[in-house]
Amino acid sequence: MARMKFLCDAERCIECNGCVTACKNEHEVPWGIQRRRVVTINDGVVGKEKSLSVACMHCTDAPCMAVCPVDVFYRTEDGVVLHDKDACIGCGYCFYACPFGAPQFPQEGAFGQRGKMDKCTFCAGGPEADGSDAELEKYGRNRLAEGKLPLCAEMCSTKALLAGDAQTVSDIFRERVVRRGGAGAEAIGWNTAYGSGEQKREQTRGGDK
Amino acid sequence: MSSRIITWLRAALLACVVGLAGAPAWAAGSAEAAVAATAADGGLIQPGNNAEAFRSARRGEHQSITFAAPADRMLIQSEGQTWRMWRNGPITQWGGWLLAAVFVALVLFRLIRGRIDLEGAPTGRLIERFNRVERTAHWTLAVTFVVLALSGLTLLFGKHVIIPLIGYDAFSWFARLAKNLHNLTGPLFFASTVVFVLMFARDNVWQAIDALWIRKAGGLLTGEHVPSWRFNFGEKTWFWIGVVILGLLVGATGLILDFPGNGQTRQDMQLAHLIHAGGAILFIALSLGHIYIGTVGMEGAMDGMKSGYVDETWAREHHEYWYRQAKDATPARPAAPPRAAASATR
Ligand code: SF4
Ligand code: SF4
Repeated sequence: MARMKFLCDAERCIECNGCVTACKNEHEVPWGIQRRRVVTINDGVVGKEKSLSVACMHCTDAPCMAVCPVDVFYRTEDGVVLHDKDACIGCGYCFYACPFGAPQFPQEGAFGQRGKMDKCTFCAGGPEADGSDAELEKYGRNRLAEGKLPLCAEMCSTKALLAGDAQTVSDIFRERVVRRGGAGAEAIGWNTAYGSGEQKREQTRGGDK
Repeated sequence: MSSRIITWLRAALLACVVGLAGAPAWAAGSAEAAVAATAADGGLIQPGNNAEAFRSARRGEHQSITFAAPADRMLIQSEGQTWRMWRNGPITQWGGWLLAAVFVALVLFRLIRGRIDLEGAPTGRLIERFNRVERTAHWTLAVTFVVLALSGLTLLFGKHVIIPLIGYDAFSWFARLAKNLHNLTGPLFFASTVVFVLMFARDNVWQAIDALWIRKAGGLLTGEHVPSWRFNFGEKTWFWIGVVILGLLVGATGLILDFPGNGQTRQDMQLAHLIHAGGAILFIALSLGHIYIGTVGMEGAMDGMKSGYVDETWAREHHEYWYRQAKDATPARPAAPPRAAASATR
């Protein structure tokens, strides 16, 4: 089975925000929520500006899954971290724990009223039946079930953002790094998301221990 | 006529374009110099090695984000993992065992030592211990405390204890109730803690006789009655460490958590949560002792908080100094309306 991962090549990202737009449109993401965002470092400094598209990385030892008090997160066969919105109580813990700031909420009101958490689904929907209206309404399109990869990466004009099986994605990236003489060899966030040492243990529903 | 308008519009447009193009170029010049200066000491000297730049971006420096981002603006935060380790580690595990241990200890204490009964027969003469206002303050605090403790424990341990029993769907409903009760009751708890502390601080200050209580460990094990004023050292410990320190700490951190979006970063929330949860576990552990003595642990202890009056014998055996002072100040219950007696107690 594939293990789905995201990789953003900072040497290629041109901050066009195509991925952000594609995601918002494909999933009809509510106002105020960005499942994906582009972060630019040294903005405007010639030769030193780098951009990076960030969303949920579908971590191996996912902190969100480990801290959620009602266990709404689960992992699909493809290694994608999905969530069950119906069960979410809006406590915000996943947001505190996530390294990438992926979980977001429609509100941020007094008495901790946040509404239901929303985050990137790797275009894999939610617990409802694949391709159902209920799934579309809550999580957006389920492209994986249709045999397609996430739209953000598909739409990326420079192919900076890669989404797909970990092996394939990292092979493509490694080849690029070799071709450009070793520049930009850091797969930013990969260590945090997919781990080294103990973090390689895959977190599944049921939480820590 | 119309051609003149068009010419005029064209000129205006041109002026706008020139103005718009010029302004950012001028602004970018100084911004670039500033960023370049920091970028130089932030690495980027080796061509193609961006590691240092990304490290600074993780700290929230030198970056711009077109869309909504967390308040701390960190590209990748490691603190979340630290928070998770503390919450799922020591707080859940040690905290859980601590509560279990205290509970077992109290059950054993009850089995071995038994209930602390009155030695003398009750005389039937009642002395006022807590007036109506004091009892209202206590019970407001007590009820909010229990609601918060139960709902808080549900959120911390429910995943491990309740989900296996009732399943995901039912627990989600239950947890949502717990979360909302917790968040709505919290501010009331904090307010009543403040009132309670102000009300009872005076009688909880150190008095010389407390040293005797410490020396004899309150007579808890020997059964000996150690004299005290209105509150003995055990009650004072619960008051200062429990209600004052832990209550205010847990209450204040709770307010930070309860009202997000007032500039708190994720890191503030993590820290507030660790103090809140850790403090709450200790608070609950101490409260078990207090609740035990007040209900099943000691004969007559509940009366003071229930009706406001205790029997003379109870007062003499448990709070001898206070009794000697209060017995003359307070007429027997039927003789005086409670309200009139209230101020006389002091
Ligand atoms: S911790 Fe964040 S990035 Fe990782 S799986 Fe959870 S939401 Fe996604
Ligand atoms: S906000 Fe929802 S998904 Fe996130 S930890 Fe709380 S209950 Fe779980």
